[in-house]
Amino acid sequence: MTDTSQKVHDPENPQRRSFLIGLIAAMGGLISFILGGSGIFYFLSPAWRGKKEDWVEVGPVEGIQEGTPIKLDYVKRKMDGWNVIESPSSVWVILQKGEWVAYDPHCTHLGCPFRWDSAKQAFLCPCHGGVFSKDGKVVSGPPPKPLVRFPVKITGGTIYVLPEGAA
Amino acid sequence: MKTILDWLDERTGWRKVKEVILDRHIPKGVDWRYTLGSVTLFFFILQAVTGILLAMHYSPSPDHAYDSVKYISKEVPMGAFLRGLHKWGATGMVISAFLHLLRVFVMGAYKYPREVTWLSGVILFFFVIGFGFTGYLLPWDQKAFWATTVGAHMVEQVPYLGTALAKIMKGGQDLGAVTLARFYAIHVLVFPALTLLFLAIHLFLVVWHGISAPPERDSSSFDPRDPSWKTRLRARYLELKAQGKSFWPYIIFKDTVAVTIVFFIVLGVAIWKGAELEDLANPTDTTYNPRPEWYFLSVFQLLKYFPGKLEAFAVVLLPLIAVSLLFALPFFDKGPRRHPADRKWLVAAGWMAVLGLIFLTIQGARTPLTNPVGEKNPMVMEGKRLFVELHCQYCHTLHGHGGTVGPVLDEVGVRRNGDWLANHFRNPKKITPGTTMPNFNLLDGEVEALVAYMSSLGGGTFSPKAPGLFEENCATCHKFHGVGEEIATDLTHIASVRDSDYIAAYIKDPLKLNPDAAMQGYTDQLTPEQIQDLANYIYQQGK
Repeated sequence: MTDTSQKVHDPENPQRRSFLIGLIAAMGGLISFILGGSGIFYFLSPAWRGKKEDWVEVGPVEGIQEGTPIKLDYVKRKMDGWNVIESPSSVWVILQKGEWVAYDPHCTHLGCPFRWDSAKQAFLCPCHGGVFSKDGKVVSGPPPKPLVRFPVKITGGTIYVLPEGAA
Repeated sequence: MKTILDWLDERTGWRKVKEVILDRHIPKGVDWRYTLGSVTLFFFILQAVTGILLAMHYSPSPDHAYDSVKYISKEVPMGAFLRGLHKWGATGMVISAFLHLLRVFVMGAYKYPREVTWLSGVILFFFVIGFGFTGYLLPWDQKAFWATTVGAHMVEQVPYLGTALAKIMKGGQDLGAVTLARFYAIHVLVFPALTLLFLAIHLFLVVWHGISAPPERDSSSFDPRDPSWKTRLRARYLELKAQGKSFWPYIIFKDTVAVTIVFFIVLGVAIWKGAELEDLANPTDTTYNPRPEWYFLSVFQLLKYFPGKLEAFAVVLLPLIAVSLLFALPFFDKGPRRHPADRKWLVAAGWMAVLGLIFLTIQGARTPLTNPVGEKNPMVMEGKRLFVELHCQYCHTLHGHGGTVGPVLDEVGVRRNGDWLANHFRNPKKITPGTTMPNFNLLDGEVEALVAYMSSLGGGTFSPKAPGLFEENCATCHKFHGVGEEIATDLTHIASVRDSDYIAAYIKDPLKLNPDAAMQGYTDQLTPEQIQDLANYIYQQGK
């Protein structure tokens, strides 16, 4: 029953018409702004939400010899969105000239787990032969960067590390 | 600019579309009551937008659903707000869809030639209800779980097919992971797709037939026996249409005003009330008072009037009759007479049905709670969950179950204070040298929850004065281990169902926990310390 043949013309004056259109745009704009704004804020929020620092206790200071790297294993509990996940991981800790250093246990080349060779006094990567010195510098092989250091702190005889961006 | 528009018109025909949809004339007399359809459509869009956003942080499995909803409410910026909008938007949509249907019913707008528009609208209305039913299982809290349990049992009442239907609905024998995944898929995939389909049909027909003109009393001149009434009805419609204004911007303006008003109402309620999240669904809980969402309260109430075998009548037959009547309406109420005054009996019957629904809903809402509502400490509940999750009972015994490697925890709340417990959880070896308890590297919130739970175990200590307090204040009515009168509840085994916090709260204000209590609060007679002492005594001695 549509009658599109009917010629469209407004009985009202054009001023009232544009006034109403203005009001429709204003109300529609307001709703879109509130709904769209909060939705976009919600969707984009991961971009600026801060990361919580999760220091992990990895072991006691006791028994660690100056100058000898030691691999400490730990289980980290952390929030992954709404899940708490437990991930076993490890860290290389070394006390050198009174300074504590913690290394990400993954080679900077392709992420393989390196080991300490006490005879060569170097970290050796089993994958492509990368070699790092005790202070983390690349001695030979393909690794492009020195070993990744984690922030480390000692509180009450216990070692804490902050494994950030661990591979 | 004009060339671009011309180019586009040649390829899309938008000028014709605009003419048919926006410039079409709406019959004279179309007023504010006609905005209900647009308001319902707006709610659908609101629900779609907020729903899509919520789905981004939701996990439809019983292990994660509750936590993910909590995450939306607590962690994601604007999450609580959007959840509130979605929850209250649902309520708004049920109301506006219902009022829209009522408006069309009273005005007889479902009559020739709009019968199919009505049918598609009734189907859409049931989708709205279906959205509600599938939606509130998703948070997987107590309300979700128990309301759906009740819903599933109602389906079981269907003769012969009931058991099979309930199994199909739940995806198995029990309400669990499969049910949740099914409900989620239906809520976010099946219903939206079908709603869009029927909405397209509904809106197409609205444009095709034009919005119905308000019913006219003098339509009595249209004698239904005169076969030409349809032609004359059409002529009259065109007449009214020519007198009316164009859809854009005059009618859309009214719609926009109505939409803006309801949007701000929903916005206000969403901010003011938010969307609550009850405790995690607990299938073993016997103290919960299951209540459906308000729009199902009428069915909930109806069930009470049909006990036993008659239940099938209330659950299956009555709704079936109601649904059939809605669908059949345009086929038994035919002819040109649309004005309510010309359809007195039918309209009166309709209003009776509406009043009945409202009455049942109010009665349902006023149902007294059978189980006393105890205030539970959410931290304790959280700690309890964590206790299970971390498998603490591999080493510790609690309530007679568990390993013997670590100490028994039944009385740990009496033995250890909160600070000790917190330090112990953070670093067991430091607090208890030589212990074999591993360091779980618990998050701060987890430590807090476990401390709350452990502190609640044992129910606290009581002083030597407590038995005397009991004899002076309680023994006149309550019996306890052979002492006292048996006027009120025997408290001898109370500890098996209530903890000391609950008992203390009950002594303070019984009516708050049990509206039928004959007992008076004791805050005037006893100090808070004495009440706690008494509660601990009753709890400890009642174990």
